[in-house]
Amino acid sequence: MNLRRSWDIVRMRLRSLARRQRVEEELDKEVRFHLEQQMEENLAAGMPPAEARSAALRKLGGMTQIQEECRDMRRTETIENFWRDLRYALRSLGKSPAFTVVILLTLALSIGANSAIFSVIDGVLLRPLPYPEANRIVRIFFHSADYPKFPLNPFDFRDFRARNRSFESLAGFTRGDLQLSGTGQPERFTGFQVTAGFFDVLGLRPARGHAFTSNDEIPGNGQKVILSDRLWRHRFAADPNVIGRKITLDSLPFTVAGVMPPGTEHPGNEYNGVAHGETVDLWWPFAFRGDPAHRGSHYLEGIGRLKKGVTSTAAQAEMNALIAQLAREHPDALAGWQALVIPLYREIVGPSERLLLVLLGAVGLVLLIACANAANLLLARATARQREMAVRTALGAGRARLMRQMLTESLLIALIGGVLAVSIAVAGVRTLVSLLPAGFPRADTIHVNAVVFAFTLLVALATGILFGLAPALQAARTDVQDTLRAGGRGTGSNRGHLRLRSVLVVGEVGLACLLLIGAGLMLRSFVNLLRADPGFRPEHLLTASLSLPDATYKPAEALHFWDRLTTSLDSVAGIRAAGVGTDLPWTGYDDNVAGFTIEGKKPPANQDFHARYHVASPGYFGAIGIPLVRGRFFVAGDDMKAPLALIVNRIMARRYWPNEDALGKRITFDDHPKEKDWMTIVGIVGDVKDKPDSPAAQMALWWPIEQTPVSVGNMSVAVRGSSDPALLANDLRRAVRQLDPTLAVANIRPMDDIADANVSTARFALFLVALFAGLALTLAAIGIYGVISYAVSQRTQEFGLRMALGAQAGDVRRLVLRQGVKLALMGVALGLVGALALGRVLWSLLYEVSAADPVTFTSVSALAIAVAALACYLPGRRATAVDPAHALRSE
Amino acid sequence: MSKPSDLIQGTLDLLILRTISLEPKHGWAIAKRIEQVSEDVLQVTQGALYPALHRLEQQGWIRAAWRKTETGREAKFYELTKAGRAQLERELAQWERLSKAVGLVIRTAEE
Repeated sequence: MNLRRSWDIVRMRLRSLARRQRVEEELDKEVRFHLEQQMEENLAAGMPPAEARSAALRKLGGMTQIQEECRDMRRTETIENFWRDLRYALRSLGKSPAFTVVILLTLALSIGANSAIFSVIDGVLLRPLPYPEANRIVRIFFHSADYPKFPLNPFDFRDFRARNRSFESLAGFTRGDLQLSGTGQPERFTGFQVTAGFFDVLGLRPARGHAFTSNDEIPGNGQKVILSDRLWRHRFAADPNVIGRKITLDSLPFTVAGVMPPGTEHPGNEYNGVAHGETVDLWWPFAFRGDPAHRGSHYLEGIGRLKKGVTSTAAQAEMNALIAQLAREHPDALAGWQALVIPLYREIVGPSERLLLVLLGAVGLVLLIACANAANLLLARATARQREMAVRTALGAGRARLMRQMLTESLLIALIGGVLAVSIAVAGVRTLVSLLPAGFPRADTIHVNAVVFAFTLLVALATGILFGLAPALQAARTDVQDTLRAGGRGTGSNRGHLRLRSVLVVGEVGLACLLLIGAGLMLRSFVNLLRADPGFRPEHLLTASLSLPDATYKPAEALHFWDRLTTSLDSVAGIRAAGVGTDLPWTGYDDNVAGFTIEGKKPPANQDFHARYHVASPGYFGAIGIPLVRGRFFVAGDDMKAPLALIVNRIMARRYWPNEDALGKRITFDDHPKEKDWMTIVGIVGDVKDKPDSPAAQMALWWPIEQTPVSVGNMSVAVRGSSDPALLANDLRRAVRQLDPTLAVANIRPMDDIADANVSTARFALFLVALFAGLALTLAAIGIYGVISYAVSQRTQEFGLRMALGAQAGDVRRLVLRQGVKLALMGVALGLVGALALGRVLWSLLYEVSAADPVTFTSVSALAIAVAALACYLPGRRATAVDPAHALRSE
Repeated sequence: MSKPSDLIQGTLDLLILRTISLEPKHGWAIAKRIEQVSEDVLQVTQGALYPALHRLEQQGWIRAAWRKTETGREAKFYELTKAGRAQLERELAQWERLSKAVGLVIRTAEE
């Protein structure tokens, strides 16, 4: 029986849907039959025919309404109405192409921009890291007041690994590039020395061969290497028998132990940093050399996989306890250190998060403005259609029906906008990725994918509802009698209408100001960055790095090589200066910090004299363009036969010799110095910051290359020419090849490129925020134009009257202008207050600009008001172009 | 859109089902019948009647067919389906219970 009923129901629904015509006719016939019965009854009661009919009609009530309700009961109406509304919406969009183009373009651009930014956020922030259970992977650093993130000492690390209970596996790694020779052109590959368990921490396994074991950590146990998939394919032709093969790296024999699968991503690292991604080609075992009692040098970076259920905070607490334990065993080395355990995800994306969220916020504001604008345009159209709505209400359309129709229209607009937005997003993401700042994490995971599509669809729907709601409510509120009587003009609801639209425009201007101020602050910050004195001369400068294998170069031979190389480069026509040193400006830094004794001075309690140390050849400072403040640069005579010389930077000279001349002062690194251990400061050079936007330079000193106590196997080369530095690359390669054809010249880059990469984040942020601000301002201008045009059309009669009474065209224009500027002023005030409140968000992205920069605030206000005035110009002209006589008659 | 204030929706459904339970009737006859039987106390407006008929039809309680009236005119006659008859039984039982309960309360309150 229930089955029978279900069948009945389905049959009825189908009939109502499929045979609509028939059902409608029957409904009509049925109601008509009723009417006739009523008339007959009335006639029988003795009424005259005409009266009988009208009385019957009266009794029946609205025939259309009954029919409409019967249709509602059939429930199929929703679907039918939807189609009808859709067709109607499409028709009405086609009828006003200008409106359609403006509104679709507005929405497509703003939704597309949102989708593009969201793709970046999805790829960088939302997508899990490419390691199994990546949320358990953490980075481990040492931490102190002076050094927020410091690498570990290998023997400390070994003790942590043996004693901890928090980690499933714990590993260390440190940069160790290797030069591959023997097969073709010598080439240097990015490599890391890793302890056993490094790949376990990441949850990865070699595709071929095997990972390193603790046996490989013992010095002298033979050199093994694991290759990246890329290296295996490009240099070994994907040889399936590569495992066990002997290859020559840095002039030493290595055995290939394994090949990692494609998609093996380096977790990123801090010192001699290599960005996260498929950026590493070689891994070789880290060997624990030296005396475990000497724990002064820190160069091993820690990474670990937490046991299930252990938090990074708990692990950090345990590490601190272990440090305290070790500090009792090795008081000198571990005093003052704390552990820092950071989830890998934070370590990788943390620095970009703020920038991305600011961009999302900016683009979200643009979308809000676009919504306000779309609502405004729809409201304007709703006004024109008020009469139509009133007539439809009078003819029996329910309010819910009218609202549904208006919302269908706005959703249709939003969805078409969304579809267009997807194509804009696809193009936009491609552009965005190409614009991303150098070293941006996970740039290769940014794609327009299903998640982005879903986001776009959702945003489009939300947008459609948001901007369709105001006009829909307006339509539902339409007062039939008023509207029909007034012919759709000059009624009370229209004044409310104008108020609503004015509020929207004020909001738009406010949001646009917010974005403009953000863009203005970023522009000032960017200009400051470009204007800031880098402390060296990046133009006409080529840099590269060279690595002399320990196996073939004893220290004396290495010195000889660098001397011959710089001499040979100096003799090349077009090269004005050449030098080698351990460091280059703005390429990242190695916190090589040493404590020393200053002759005749005692450090303050609990502190020591310290500075970063570097090595420089005589030509180094001249080639890079670091200015000499006092004294002299190194010369060829600063060798082991001469007294020890030292160059310090200005900030170090000022700090340790505040009211004296640092020149000629002596320091030593020896605890019990003999006379020959003292180093004399022979020169003071200008300061160079770690990065252009670093707050201040670090104290630094340089040893002459011939006198340095540290290894000089790895050096950066700086070559200054007089024109395009890229042209010098061949000269450099030729000079190296003449000296040693097995050496690879790596990282050949003009200094301009390095400098450019260092401002790329600021430029990226500026470009996008300025783009969004420009879009916002345009939208706001369209909004003002729309509202003022509408207001002018409402006041045509008033203006005509004024002009008839002797007002000049200028007076009327001023009147219109005043109305527009008033809106703009309110918007600007709103925007300024908002910008002050939001200043903190931007602060960390700014360089030497206050978040409440008066110049920016003033110029943005002026710009917004000027644009508003401009938007009022056309409506103002129109107001005065009216013939007064015509205007007065127009009502 | 006006709903009869003295006829809550469920009651109207019950009255319609009861009225056509003996023989199929068209809309006009249903309205007249309810008025007559209730001695003009219950006035069924067409604005409520037809939507109710269409709803009941959609729910499968009643079905409609076009037939000739006594005067030879085409009219849409509604009759109960099997499911509708069962539904009527249920609604009647419920109504009895409800009115008995209301009666009890009223009488008790009088005492």
